[in-house]
Amino acid sequence: MSTLNIGGSQLDTSWFLLLGAVLFTIGAAGVLVRRNPLVILICIELMLNAVNLTLVTFARQLQNIEGQLFALMAMTVAAAEAVVGLAILVDIFHTRDVEDVDDLSELKG
Amino acid sequence: MSTLTSPQTIALLVLLFPAAGALLLAGRGWRLPRRFTVIVGPVAVWASFICTLNLFLNKVNADFTYWTWIKSGSLDVPFNLLVDNLSIFMCLVITGVGGLIVTYSVGYMAHEDGPSYARFFAYMDIFIFSMLLLVLAGNFVFLIIGWAMVGLSSYLLIGFWYQRRSAVLAARKAFVMNVIGDAGMILGAFVLFVQFHSVTFQAVFRAISIGPNNGCLECRAVPIADSGSLELAAFLLLVGAVAKSAQLPLHTWLPDAMEGPTPVSALIHAATMVTAGVYLVARMHPIYDVATYAHDAVAIIGAVTALFAATIAIVQTDIKRVLAYSTMSQIGYMFLAVGIGAYSAGLFHLLSHAFFKALLFMAAGNVIHAMHDEQDMRKYGGLWRQLRPTSIMFLVGCLSLVGVIPFVGFFSKEQILGLAFSRPGTLGLVVWGVGALTALLTGFYTGRMWWLAFAGKPSPQRPVEHPHEAPMVMLVPVGILAVLAVVGGFIQTRALGIGPSAVSDFLASSVGSVHWEESTAAVVVGLVTMLVAAGLFVGALRMRPWSASFPWAQRLLERKYYFDEIYNAAFVRPMDAIAGFGDRDIEQPLINGAVMETGIATSASAAGLSLTQSGYFRNYVLVFVGGAVVAVIVILIRASA
Amino acid sequence: MAIAIFFIAAALAILGAIGVVTFREPIRCVLSLVVVMLALSVLFLLLSAQFVFVVQIIVYAGAVMVLFLFVIALLGPAREAARGRLRFQSWLSALFMLVLLILMWTMLQGIQYRQPDSTDMSVFGTVQSIAVGLFTTYLYPFELTSILLLTAAIGAIYLSRRQIDDK
Repeated sequence: MSTLNIGGSQLDTSWFLLLGAVLFTIGAAGVLVRRNPLVILICIELMLNAVNLTLVTFARQLQNIEGQLFALMAMTVAAAEAVVGLAILVDIFHTRDVEDVDDLSELKG
Repeated sequence: MSTLTSPQTIALLVLLFPAAGALLLAGRGWRLPRRFTVIVGPVAVWASFICTLNLFLNKVNADFTYWTWIKSGSLDVPFNLLVDNLSIFMCLVITGVGGLIVTYSVGYMAHEDGPSYARFFAYMDIFIFSMLLLVLAGNFVFLIIGWAMVGLSSYLLIGFWYQRRSAVLAARKAFVMNVIGDAGMILGAFVLFVQFHSVTFQAVFRAISIGPNNGCLECRAVPIADSGSLELAAFLLLVGAVAKSAQLPLHTWLPDAMEGPTPVSALIHAATMVTAGVYLVARMHPIYDVATYAHDAVAIIGAVTALFAATIAIVQTDIKRVLAYSTMSQIGYMFLAVGIGAYSAGLFHLLSHAFFKALLFMAAGNVIHAMHDEQDMRKYGGLWRQLRPTSIMFLVGCLSLVGVIPFVGFFSKEQILGLAFSRPGTLGLVVWGVGALTALLTGFYTGRMWWLAFAGKPSPQRPVEHPHEAPMVMLVPVGILAVLAVVGGFIQTRALGIGPSAVSDFLASSVGSVHWEESTAAVVVGLVTMLVAAGLFVGALRMRPWSASFPWAQRLLERKYYFDEIYNAAFVRPMDAIAGFGDRDIEQPLINGAVMETGIATSASAAGLSLTQSGYFRNYVLVFVGGAVVAVIVILIRASA
Repeated sequence: MAIAIFFIAAALAILGAIGVVTFREPIRCVLSLVVVMLALSVLFLLLSAQFVFVVQIIVYAGAVMVLFLFVIALLGPAREAARGRLRFQSWLSALFMLVLLILMWTMLQGIQYRQPDSTDMSVFGTVQSIAVGLFTTYLYPFELTSILLLTAAIGAIYLSRRQIDDK
């Protein structure tokens, strides 16, 4: 059941899913470790892409178009989120130079 | 229209007049001119007296229920007044003698400032109201309410001059001892309620069924109920009576109570409040007729207290303290009487004591007033020449107290002693012996008081060289009482075996009659006792320097048999220690600590938790991811389980 | 042949992801992400998602990544300092990520695949089928998404306006 017939060859669904998992993990690690706010946003985009891969994989495996529709919606939302996030970042940059997200710690306590 | 003058309404008015007086004076009186208080204070009491007279003349004898106060399950507490001859008798004493005393105090308290003046009469009216409620109550609940209010009024009146520390302490002492009595009384009422499921007197007394019983005074009761519980109830009620009437062992508050103004001593510590205990035993006589042990205890306590107080009175130097111990002693006589079953004899002595003791206190008040508040008798001397009217009245009171014919004190005291002497059984003879000895001592200490204060030459330590007599408003009530003390005895001369017996006949319907006769031997013995006592009265003049030979006895008596010291060590200090321990070791660390600790712990934990709010975005994400990991683990475990 | 394409694309994607996380300069991170996106789009194509493949390239790699590049150009290239402030952060993150990966691997093992919903592969993934789904069953989410985009656009304009009143 898990094998996909792609272009004459037999691929296994779990390969795609594993790739998605790995990409997601790498993206999450990036969010946790990187300190430049811009790079953090980029890593979030990476995570969203990994999820899109998983969605499309399942769409293919179940032969149900809804997975791809969901992926399209996710893409749209990711775009909107990137826009707003960058706008906030630009706004903060207007007042001070942010190199390290650890500098933005006024909400402590 | 008839309901306005019906006995039911009039009985209620007896209570309402003093209550209204108290409310008016407390609410408005301190702002209005003095004349207002002068009128309202005494008039409230005299109006009550008139209503009582009305009830007396109409021979009212009924139990009036006005409304039901509490009705809950089997507990049914009505507001009812039991108006029988005993209550009317007591009301006459309270309102009559009380009226005279309140009128007297218009003059005595005249140098108080306006608000205090009104406050005094408000307190007096509250007291009269409470005392009337006590004697008129038809059920235990209102009896206890009246009882407690009397204790409260006593506290208010003893501590009237509250700026004086000694007065405040005395008031507190009186109140605490009264509360001990209240506790006993309430428990007694509980025992009776448990036994008979009712709080009204009529219901309880009826439940103690009728039948012959040997040795019982009334021949009224063979209990269907368990007589053990009746004994218990009788003892508990006795605790209340003993506390209120300042009998042994709850007597230490009475001498200290002399800190209050003299009219207060006259009213509540001579004529009325301290006699409440006697009234209680008389009212509860169906119970005491059955509970023979408690009944005998009443007599024994009375006899012992009478002798005890008389011995202490011998060494007192304050004129009011002599009278206070004398009161204690005479109430001992009343307890003795009701204890052996001679209820009306005890109540007759209550009446005569009210006359002459109030007389003595008020006359002493005149003297104190004239001496600019000096109460030490050793600083008097020679008042006979200078304050003739007061001295005459004081002498009348003294002779009545000693029991000299033909004053009222003779007839009442000798009736008690005669009945005790003639009573079948040993208890009568024993208490007679004690009572006779006390009578002799009474003669002695009264004489000593008379010779010290009124006779002889003026003491060099006299504060006032030429004292002037009291004003009319103070002399007239005293005079009325003096007349009553002289002629009052002739309504009941049964002590001599002949003549009218108006009091016992009147009271017979409420408290029954004695079932033995006073023997002729008793009459003779009584006359002899009186003569010896009178002799001691006169001879006290010569006998003064006896105390030098017995210094230890002098000290013992002056220290009132060390009762205050014993109570202080046995009760006050341990209670203080316990309270201190409780505050220091339990309240502060545990309870206060727990409350404070809760606050401190909350703040501390908040401070600790706020460390997680590091402000670092990456920390938050880490926690976020950590939580997600944990959630996934949980789901996996669940799914595989 | 498909297998080979898959492995090349997968390798590129992983390399690009590592590059995103590792490079010091943000510009290089963005470019790595573009590589990842292109690799993913190839994978989409393999998975019969033609429309998604095109959209990924045009919208994601083409628009969103360009937006990122513009912001970097606006804000200036910032080099990240070598040492951070939170010391334990990297270790804990590594730990969590390892755990997460192991968990996902475990979950992968436990998947029970079911029968496909339909057997007709001729129209799967075409513009036609996407359109049918988007404009009939999922019309509501489609419209809401457009409103979302509008909101985001307005928000972005508002947030990045210049403060004229002060100074």
